[in-house]
Amino acid sequence: MKNRYLALLIVLVLAFGVTLGAVGCGGDEETTTTTEEEGATETTEADGETTTTLSEEPSGDPIKVGAILSLTGPYAGLGEPEKNTIEMLVERVNSNGGINGRPLEVIIEDDATESAQTVAAASKLIDREEVVAIIGATGTGQSMAFREQVVAAEIPNVSIGGGTPITNPLSPWVFQTPWSNNIVVPFTLDYVQSKGISKVAIIADSGGFAQDGAATVEKFLPDYDIEVVAQETFEPGDTDMTAQLTSIKGSDAEAVLMWSAGSGAAVVAKNMNALEMDIPLFGSHGNARRELIEGAGAGGEGFRFAAGKVLVPESYGTDSEGYKVASQFIADYVARYGGPPDTFAGHAYDALMITVEAMRRLDADFTPQELRDEIEATSGFVGIGGTFTYSADDHNGMTVDDLVMYEVKDGAWKLAE
Amino acid sequence: MRAVLTRMGPGGVRLVAALLAVVGVFAVPLVLQSTFTIKILTFAGINVIIVIGLALLFGYAGQISLGHAGFFGLGAYTSAILTTTVGLPWILGLVAGTAVAAAGGVIIAVPSLRLKGHYLAMATLGFGEIMRILFVQLRDLTGGPDGFSGIPPVSVGSLTLETSGADFTLVWVVAIVLLLLAANLGGMRPGRAMRALHGSEIGTSACGVDISRMKIVVFTISAGVAGLAGVLYAHVLGFISPTNFSLNVSIILIAMVVLGGPGSLAGAVAAAVVLSLLPFLDAFVPGVPREVSEFIQSWQHDLYGLTIILVMLFLPRGLAGGMRQLVRWIGRRPSVEGDTA
Amino acid sequence: MGFDEQLAQFVFAGLKSGAIYALMALGFTIVYAATGAINFAQGEFFMLGGMLAVWSLDALGVPLLLAGLLAIILTSLIAVIFEELAIRPRRDADPLALIIITIGGSMLISSLARHAFGPNELPLPPFTEGGSLHVLGALVEQQAVWLWLLTALAVAGLTILYSRTKFGLAMRASAVDREAAKLMGIDTRIVVMVTFCLAGALGAIAGVAVTPLTQTAYSVGPSIAVKGFSAAILGGLGSPLASVLGGLILGLAESLSVAALSSEFKDATAILLLLAVLFLRPEGLFRRSRREKV
Repeated sequence: MKNRYLALLIVLVLAFGVTLGAVGCGGDEETTTTTEEEGATETTEADGETTTTLSEEPSGDPIKVGAILSLTGPYAGLGEPEKNTIEMLVERVNSNGGINGRPLEVIIEDDATESAQTVAAASKLIDREEVVAIIGATGTGQSMAFREQVVAAEIPNVSIGGGTPITNPLSPWVFQTPWSNNIVVPFTLDYVQSKGISKVAIIADSGGFAQDGAATVEKFLPDYDIEVVAQETFEPGDTDMTAQLTSIKGSDAEAVLMWSAGSGAAVVAKNMNALEMDIPLFGSHGNARRELIEGAGAGGEGFRFAAGKVLVPESYGTDSEGYKVASQFIADYVARYGGPPDTFAGHAYDALMITVEAMRRLDADFTPQELRDEIEATSGFVGIGGTFTYSADDHNGMTVDDLVMYEVKDGAWKLAE
Repeated sequence: MRAVLTRMGPGGVRLVAALLAVVGVFAVPLVLQSTFTIKILTFAGINVIIVIGLALLFGYAGQISLGHAGFFGLGAYTSAILTTTVGLPWILGLVAGTAVAAAGGVIIAVPSLRLKGHYLAMATLGFGEIMRILFVQLRDLTGGPDGFSGIPPVSVGSLTLETSGADFTLVWVVAIVLLLLAANLGGMRPGRAMRALHGSEIGTSACGVDISRMKIVVFTISAGVAGLAGVLYAHVLGFISPTNFSLNVSIILIAMVVLGGPGSLAGAVAAAVVLSLLPFLDAFVPGVPREVSEFIQSWQHDLYGLTIILVMLFLPRGLAGGMRQLVRWIGRRPSVEGDTA
Repeated sequence: MGFDEQLAQFVFAGLKSGAIYALMALGFTIVYAATGAINFAQGEFFMLGGMLAVWSLDALGVPLLLAGLLAIILTSLIAVIFEELAIRPRRDADPLALIIITIGGSMLISSLARHAFGPNELPLPPFTEGGSLHVLGALVEQQAVWLWLLTALAVAGLTILYSRTKFGLAMRASAVDREAAKLMGIDTRIVVMVTFCLAGALGAIAGVAVTPLTQTAYSVGPSIAVKGFSAAILGGLGSPLASVLGGLILGLAESLSVAALSSEFKDATAILLLLAVLFLRPEGLFRRSRREKV
């Protein structure tokens, strides 16, 4: 009997040892803190590596900003570029003297694409860390989940989710950097109609962003000669949509309109290919991710979606301010992470930099209320997603001019014809 | 002192202890400064409430429920929908939430009468899963996978509980009251009958106890208590989503009862508090660095799983049994010779 | 697409999931027969099959076929270790206690997998590349054919083991009455150990075969476990053949519910069937009713 206990203990120690070893090589941290000390900036990466850059000595109490990102779960592919961007930018800000001499600290929390976790993360950031602003969440549903906490705590929130409800109904405390569905949908429908398509099928996941997208399509549809002949749903994280697509195949849809930002999008494209459905697939600005192209394989060819100009920077207009900003960002990102940034990295850039610029315009010890007012006063800010001008009744700040239509060709993004 | 305690009897002792605890509960929010810590303790209290119901079910009637998060959720969503969407006062939400959960208990208990052991467990698991699927799919009613937000705080008449301190007090007062009721249940006829049921069904039946009714009653109470906890949870947090009521949650609740030891209410409560507070250790024990807490959070589920296995293997009587054994062992130590171990 | 072709497509989708449920149900049933307990960790054997195959392929650089084989062997080993350390010491405890232990095991294994392999989904390439096959107007992925082949092999293998070999006889005897089997000289210890080994293998086969279609992640265990034992109970716990049939029926029922109703309640189908069987005919569709003796 005793030997059994010993054996159990040994096996468990081995098991923990193996997994700890794997963790050491792979790394799955839930929080990353980018801080600095006097004279130098230290950034601790998830794999334990620390880089130090000499700064112009920002000193004093750090300005604490919270960030709630989906680093795991169906939106992990969106959260990762967002986190990369934030870490890169914090380093840059602090190596240039911080914000009015004070260092910037961004505390990143993972919500695992689960609204319940978002709420817990928000509580941690607000009650425990006492941040002055929160960036996030990655997802629309998740952003809506902690909205009340932010309003009750009276701190500004710059969301990086793309759903309409984030800024409509408007809350004085909540801002948004992605183009909302309200802008993307008519832009997409214009394009679809211009291709002579009059019957579409809609497939969307059951999350906030997708459902809002589907609802927005319904809202704008009467303005077009397009009819919805089939509508299907799936759960975020589902791995097989053949049943739903079979139903769509049996209808007379001429195109499939997909609204889903998570990992399911690649499965839909893949399944459509396996079912030999040759009608075009359209997506949304939630699909500007490399994982989709990789996961969909052959099914990704010809996939079209609307998004901002950062994927093909020339579309900004090569002599525009937007092109300059984007090119610099792309160059920095590539130098640090080895590959180009996508639109989600762009949303995080916009959110953080709008906040930082607003903080720069204020005195060294500002209140969250003053920060909110200053963010709302943002005008003509040239970001990655477009040029932002907020106002008391527009907390999204974008227009259709900030969008272009993309097509996946030969495994890369090209401007669609 | 001893004489006084003996005169009072176990029921009296419990009452005094409960009153002292209630006083303590009012004092805690005044002493603790951190809102975060108060919130964590409040959620521990909510877990305690559910676990009381589960402990009654497991310890006294020998039944296991792998779907109790379903009742928890049923109470939460019912009250949330009635107070937010329909606009009813909180008290009605409380009553309705508890009643609906209890009704769910009856609905599961009646057809499950014939089922033995693991079949009953599977049925409760099925129920829990159906509830979760409904919470996710009935989007128009429940808000779907992204959850239900905007739930108003607890309010009775013109009194609204705005602060986390007030919520803490409410939750723990409820927990203490329930604990008192449950503890005294053991001494009453229904309680003794329940204990007998766990021991031997045939014997109990031979003594003239209506087993079927007993089982249904216990299950209903257990479900209603979980629903009550759900109502409190919804209004304290202001936001609920289907993941709060998943199979994982049901399993963690069972882990708390198992860890505490079958038949021991105190053990289950202690286990519930420990398992709820463990991931936030650095908030309570000064000097514990945040990394330790983060480590625990990261390895939380491993710890749960390991705890369940180890307790089931080595401490079948749970923490409570282990404590009793320890006390007995300490008491025996002085006399080594002539000890008939 | 005509209705016949659509129906065929749904039927094949149903048989695809049905094969997986059949393998999982088999794993549940043989463990139940040998120990009287429902093994919650069966879902984790499925997860480990896919995960270890991906790991073998990516981390060890082993070719796909070998990766799959390695995954099955490793999972069976883990299943045996689990049995020896967590189940054996309490083998005489009541089934309720054993279920709780397996629940704990399920939690531990999936959490360890999360730490070892990361929280995200991982893909596995299909066994053979190429387009889908045209069968009866429906499109069937090549990987689905591999799944059916492996399922058939596993079922055939198990059947031969059970009915033709002496060891299989020993297993069946232990299932009927453990004490009597012991008296007859059968080492029930070995029987239980081998049973777990087989259960691990069955789960892993399902995992390896289906991961190319659906990807795998540390968290896939519990949901497939629920479907698996729903299928086992549907068919009738304790009988391998009944479990396989239960699995296929469950898969078809799910798929046809999508065709007939909507995709939203696909998962509910399995649970509703489970509850219906438990309340109306607990012994399952294919087993003779056994009255419980007092």
